[in-house]
Amino acid sequence: MPATNSESKSSLGVAHVAPGEFRLRIAYQKIGRLRFLSHLEVLRAMERAARRADLPYSVTKGFSPHMKLAFGPALPVGTAGEREYVDIWLTTYEPAEGLAGRLREASVSDLAPVAAGFVAAGEPSLTAACTIAEYEVIVGGDGARGTALAESLKTLVDSREFAVEHKGKKKVFDLARSLPKEHRVESCGRGATVDLIVRMGPEGSLRPDVFVREAILRASIDASIDTVTRTGTLIEDSEGAWRRPL
Amino acid sequence: MSSSEWERVERLLNRVERPARYIDHEWGASREPGFNYRAVLLYPDTYELGMANQAISILYERLNAADEVLAERCFLPWIDMAAAMREEDIPLFGLETGLAVRDADLFGITLPYELTYTNILEALDLAGIPLRARDRGEGDPVVLGGGPCAYNPEPIAEFFDAILIGEGEEAILEIANVHRRARDGGADRVGILRELARLDGVYVPRFYQPVRDAEGALTGVVADTGITPVVNKRVLADLDTFRAPTCPVVPFMDVVHDRASVEILRGCTRGCRFCQAGMVYRPVRERSADSIVRDAIASLKCTGYDEVSLTSLSTTDHSQLEDVLRRLTRRLEGKGISVSVPSLRVDAFSIDMARLVGGGRKSGLTFAPEAGTQRLRDVINKNVTEEELLGTVRHAFDAGWRRVKLYFMLGLPTETDADVLGISDLVRKVSDEARSCVEPSQRGSIRIAVSVSVFVPKAHTPFQWDPQLPRDEIGRRQDLLRSSMPRKGIELSWHEADVSFLEAVMARGGREIADAIEAAWRTGAVFDAWTERFDIGTWLGAFASVGVDPASVAVGEKSSNEILPWDHISCGVSRAYLARERERASEASTTSDCSFDGCTGCDACDELGVEIVLGGGTRGAR
Ligand code: SF4
Repeated sequence: MPATNSESKSSLGVAHVAPGEFRLRIAYQKIGRLRFLSHLEVLRAMERAARRADLPYSVTKGFSPHMKLAFGPALPVGTAGEREYVDIWLTTYEPAEGLAGRLREASVSDLAPVAAGFVAAGEPSLTAACTIAEYEVIVGGDGARGTALAESLKTLVDSREFAVEHKGKKKVFDLARSLPKEHRVESCGRGATVDLIVRMGPEGSLRPDVFVREAILRASIDASIDTVTRTGTLIEDSEGAWRRPL
Repeated sequence: MSSSEWERVERLLNRVERPARYIDHEWGASREPGFNYRAVLLYPDTYELGMANQAISILYERLNAADEVLAERCFLPWIDMAAAMREEDIPLFGLETGLAVRDADLFGITLPYELTYTNILEALDLAGIPLRARDRGEGDPVVLGGGPCAYNPEPIAEFFDAILIGEGEEAILEIANVHRRARDGGADRVGILRELARLDGVYVPRFYQPVRDAEGALTGVVADTGITPVVNKRVLADLDTFRAPTCPVVPFMDVVHDRASVEILRGCTRGCRFCQAGMVYRPVRERSADSIVRDAIASLKCTGYDEVSLTSLSTTDHSQLEDVLRRLTRRLEGKGISVSVPSLRVDAFSIDMARLVGGGRKSGLTFAPEAGTQRLRDVINKNVTEEELLGTVRHAFDAGWRRVKLYFMLGLPTETDADVLGISDLVRKVSDEARSCVEPSQRGSIRIAVSVSVFVPKAHTPFQWDPQLPRDEIGRRQDLLRSSMPRKGIELSWHEADVSFLEAVMARGGREIADAIEAAWRTGAVFDAWTERFDIGTWLGAFASVGVDPASVAVGEKSSNEILPWDHISCGVSRAYLARERERASEASTTSDCSFDGCTGCDACDELGVEIVLGGGTRGAR
């Protein structure tokens, strides 16, 4: 996939960043079988790719100097991502397109950049800024073909609250807040596709697979989740408008 | 593996732990199209242990670089995955293309450690390959072993079609080529194995028959007609003939030794009398400084690692180490990339080298005095004095280190209670020395880790004839050590005596052990090297069920002229030299290191037609 970055040195770039440091934002995919990587594994792989690509990365000071980079919200093991984000701080400026190209060549295709561009040094961190996530959940099995799944999901959403238990702790999600946009269910070759938009936050985020699995369970249908993909991550501004981080 | 086959595997990944063990697609993984010879290389334990194995990485690179050969990696699936695969009828497969192991031409299995033997059976069974070589048919792959445990291959000999003794860089391609030629020429299985048995270093167990007298004592292992009676190990004359693998597979998972590495020398001739590696990898051959620097830089560039380790049995012995480290640290400056040096010698030079590469990092230093008294250190030929150890500790704590780790061994030949108490005494002196170098306010941060293992007599060492102590006596000495050990700032840890007992049985046993290994595996033993999985009860039951007394194997003393199960395997070091060294041990008389002080007559160089190679020409004074 070609880099879709459009920033150039004159339109954004150098004027917006601290002197001597350039903040390159990379959108990357984690797809196919590499969706089984953990966040830590992705982090390590990305650092290694950056070194292989010989990016002019900044190194932190201190006892054990390491590459300066910061990731967006973590993806769980087993969940794919089509457009995930990481910021890497560089010591010298080079056009984003070329950097992304080099990084792509130093990456395996299922975990590789899809776009890159410079962002201002003062931009909030990706973890703080990215609060909206778009998911696609593919449900396989004959039971997913009828209307039962859609009805079960609707009932679940209408119940307004959703409780989960994790490691003995109970957590209740306010669905009006956690699901800021109406979900969609469509039939597909393997069964059904569920599109969900979820609000993330420091207090924890609703996991789409857990939510859809509950709907399957309540509908008592012969179906199971095949894949979960985060198709996008968005920043919500103070007016409530959504935009892509890049 | 077709995409539908992969989908079957993929479905299992949601329900097993650490799915990254099974997904392949790492940077550097090979998937060259067009091949007519397929090999699968197994490390008989999990991915995260196996990915650290340099032998696998070397053989993988050598095979994949050859014409029309494809080599895939394979690791033993963890228990949850193995169960899921059996349930779904998915056979063991190579990671790169998903080739079913039973469809490969060659199934290479590395032999890193005695406690992985049941894992080998588990792998064969998962692959659908008969466990015993004699039960395999024309369609089955040739099952080839090799690695450290090959120097006494007898306990596992019946599970292998062939075992390579010694170094594999050259031999692996000879094996692949001879096999391919014989196969294409229409040879049957026995014919192929006969061809392989002609290669130097290749042991084909089915052509060797153990002979026993009326009492059941071994009187010899006799080779069939036309087969070499003694298999000599393979050895590279010069490490620089081959580059260290510079583009190995880079794992996603956190694996042990997760860093680039360059093997900077092979062999160690300090001559510790309990140490198998010190005998079987002779002579010392150093890689030259130029090629070490070149390969380290190339490997970092190709892998993207942030650390390169200069590995060997005794890295600080390399005659050009200082030069290498200065060149590397200069070239890597400001990149957040570090160099590491494992295995330090007990001297100030080693501390200086650690300081050179460590920069501000002072993680911990490891030393192995092995015994607590000078007498016993002389018996085992550990040429380290108390003054040297304390001086080194002083140097390290003056330089800012606050942690050292000390290795000792319990139950060495001739050990008395005084030697056991000597360990506690030495630890106390080390601790006092460390405290005297450190400001009173900082003394709380001093840590001395003491790790105590149990002596295991190993084949091809001067102590191969000596018994391991009975388990209750080991227990008594452990208690003695525990009660006399100082407490403040000391962290004491043990190697399980039951584990060492089993290691000794495997290290010294003959073919009679095979039935017990199989019985243990059939009653659930697998991943025995994992503390939480190891169960001595299963093993004792297995030995009883096949009528073998394991204690007589581990604890029995052998006379110097007794026939040993591994006498038909040679690492070059002569039996006479080992016997002489054993004699010197009993007199507490030491032997010098030939890489510093000249040949001491072990015969390895003559026997194997090689000689010591030192990058800098000579090794300086220690
Ligand atoms: S033959 Fe001599 S020089 Fe060669 S390894 Fe043995 S002792 Fe050393």
